[in-house]
Amino acid sequence: MFKTGALGVSLRIRYFRYNGRKGAGGDKVKRYRKPIQYIILAVVLLVGGYAIGQSFLSPNKALKPGSDAPAFELLGLDGQTHTLDSYKGKPLVVNFWGTFCPPCRNEMPALQAQYDKWKNTDVQLIGINLSEDRVSVGSFLRSYDINFPVLLDKNKKTEKKYGLKEYPTTFFISADGKIKDIVIGGPMSEETIESHIKRLLGTD
Amino acid sequence: MIHNTKCECGHQNPTGTVLCESCGKPLVEDLPLDTPLEMRYDGAARRSQKQNPAVIDRVWNFFSSVKIAIWLIILTLIGAAVGTIYPQESTFINLDDPASYYKETYGTSGAIYQALGFSRTYESWWFIGLLVMIGTSLVICSLDRVLPLYKALSKQQVRKHMSFLTRQQTVLETDIAADPEKWVADFGAQLKRKRYRVWTDGTALLAEKNRFSRWGPYINHIGLIVFLLAVLGRSVPAWHMDQYVGIDEHQVKQIPGTDYYIGNDKFTVEYYKDEELPDKLKGTARAKLYQTQATLYACTQYCNDDPLHDPVLKPVESHAIEVNSPLEYKGLKLYQYNFEEKVRLIEVKPMLLDTVSGKSYGPFDLKMSDPAEKSQAGPYTLTLRDVYPDFGLDEEGRPMTKSRDFNNPAFVFRITGPDVDEKGELYIYFPMPSASDKGVQQQINASFKKLGSNTGRFNFQVGKMENVTFSQYTTFLNVRVDRAMPYVWVGAGISMIGLVMGFYWHHRRIWLRIDGGRLTLGAHTNKNTYGIRNETASALAKVGIVVDPKALDNRRNTR
Repeated sequence: MFKTGALGVSLRIRYFRYNGRKGAGGDKVKRYRKPIQYIILAVVLLVGGYAIGQSFLSPNKALKPGSDAPAFELLGLDGQTHTLDSYKGKPLVVNFWGTFCPPCRNEMPALQAQYDKWKNTDVQLIGINLSEDRVSVGSFLRSYDINFPVLLDKNKKTEKKYGLKEYPTTFFISADGKIKDIVIGGPMSEETIESHIKRLLGTD
Repeated sequence: MIHNTKCECGHQNPTGTVLCESCGKPLVEDLPLDTPLEMRYDGAARRSQKQNPAVIDRVWNFFSSVKIAIWLIILTLIGAAVGTIYPQESTFINLDDPASYYKETYGTSGAIYQALGFSRTYESWWFIGLLVMIGTSLVICSLDRVLPLYKALSKQQVRKHMSFLTRQQTVLETDIAADPEKWVADFGAQLKRKRYRVWTDGTALLAEKNRFSRWGPYINHIGLIVFLLAVLGRSVPAWHMDQYVGIDEHQVKQIPGTDYYIGNDKFTVEYYKDEELPDKLKGTARAKLYQTQATLYACTQYCNDDPLHDPVLKPVESHAIEVNSPLEYKGLKLYQYNFEEKVRLIEVKPMLLDTVSGKSYGPFDLKMSDPAEKSQAGPYTLTLRDVYPDFGLDEEGRPMTKSRDFNNPAFVFRITGPDVDEKGELYIYFPMPSASDKGVQQQINASFKKLGSNTGRFNFQVGKMENVTFSQYTTFLNVRVDRAMPYVWVGAGISMIGLVMGFYWHHRRIWLRIDGGRLTLGAHTNKNTYGIRNETASALAKVGIVVDPKALDNRRNTR
């Protein structure tokens, strides 16, 4: 009997204590409810936005006309470091080539002729060799009488940045650093190169 | 539909309350009066239900709906299933042109599949969007239900409304001859022996056990949220990497996208001997062991493709990589993936032979990749004039290299020194020991002689095998970083704890009140009604009320 009574009393006290707190507690919960909703929804927007945003960045974005030319910093055959930035403000022709690729070898004279033709203007023409060693590049250029600037890619890194699939590939980059034309394969004739350069200059 | 939310017991309930928070009287009369009550969430109103919702409340309520959650899950399942029809693009190591690959391999349906983006289902915005929405729904659904449930369960009234008791699934109404207070105390003692917690309020009683099992689903949800966040975390570039590198023996290669370099010191493949194989496999090459003795290097200086300096490397870890035994270093894991047998020269140390005097000089070091431009052999200086990694002839019969790989290297040196013409002598050297190469070497050197470029005096010779370093195998390693994995396990663990809590323990409650000698008992459990009926009947039997457990089934009685 006594035991039951005691239990009843204690329960009643608990209940009353709860009631006593109830008004204040309930208001408190209500007061925080809105901010908590906003915080949760904001976190969802943040995390979800990031995750969904990431999904739009496709991993192998192929370069196409209109893309920004990827930056590079490479050693030239002249022993100097060349960067894409150093050509900013000037129309630029970048030819990726290698001594192992017959069409690359065959279009070298045409590129040299165009280099000579535009040498005294703003138009820049460079070759980027496909990660061969400098001795063979140097001896090849000597035997073909090539003197336009050639930079040496290392471990195929620049080639990968530019997403090369075939050799040679030539990028025509306008003065603002945007790719205007991409010519995949070769050899290009002098006329082809010239018409692309004219397009770069906006005179065609 | 606006209900008067004030109960007859005087308690003011929030909008959407099904059973009065205080006395348990049903407030929503949408079911026939004699059917068992809807006891979900103890009849408490879902949080955040409002009469005039603003935009943010509408968004909240959208995600708070279980119906919506189920649809999201169904859509995700369908999406995930569609993604398995053809292989995903991410499973190919080298896929330059997915559009044409899918068209060629799987026909028109493959082309449509690829064009619609299903070949990248699991990375697509809509799939990740669905996952994010499921996550949101998990958080909001749980929050809106667990808080009212927690409140309802922690402030339970002992004395319940008659209609609350008689509309439980387990019900008993009978007359009691004994003193009501004593009977309640005796019955309470019996329930305590069955590990119930018992509260009494005069002639009313509430007994409850295993309330914690009600939190199981919510703990499960917390685990799932951790799991989902971890899965989404893999889209953070530094958290996830999965790529392949092929390395020749004695070669050190950068792991793309990191400052680590991996070197293949030696690759070993062992095959089973015929006597170790079952009859039908005899004579076939069955690999017993693939092993890459690998060294991992960290770059300490000039790591960002400095054009003037080579990176400075420091070995940090070595391991014999075998299948299921990756090299591990700070979250980076390198697994054995494949190998290819392809002999490639790495370095030779030839002697320079003077055929006139019979003397030999050297040896000098000749590395295939990045050879030194000048070498010294005795008193003679060898200046490298040309390198052909893969010697061949072009259309006009001039020497050229057919590729960048050192398949058949040839080197042209200009040799200067004592008793040699001032402009030096030109010699070509094929380090590969094949007869045809040696023939070509002789031919070209003879033609140099004819042109007056050399006197035919010098030759090259690699004496012992120890002077040749070559790679016999190229090993392919799978490089993985998955920093989300521990969190995936933690999430799965929490989820499992929640499931076990919810499945293996049952929340059971028994209410009763005695009014004028008549006992009204109602009992509720969220699962296993047989269990609670047996338990109630056995406790009742101990205080003198013998009743068949089946007779307590309210659903049976009403039929």
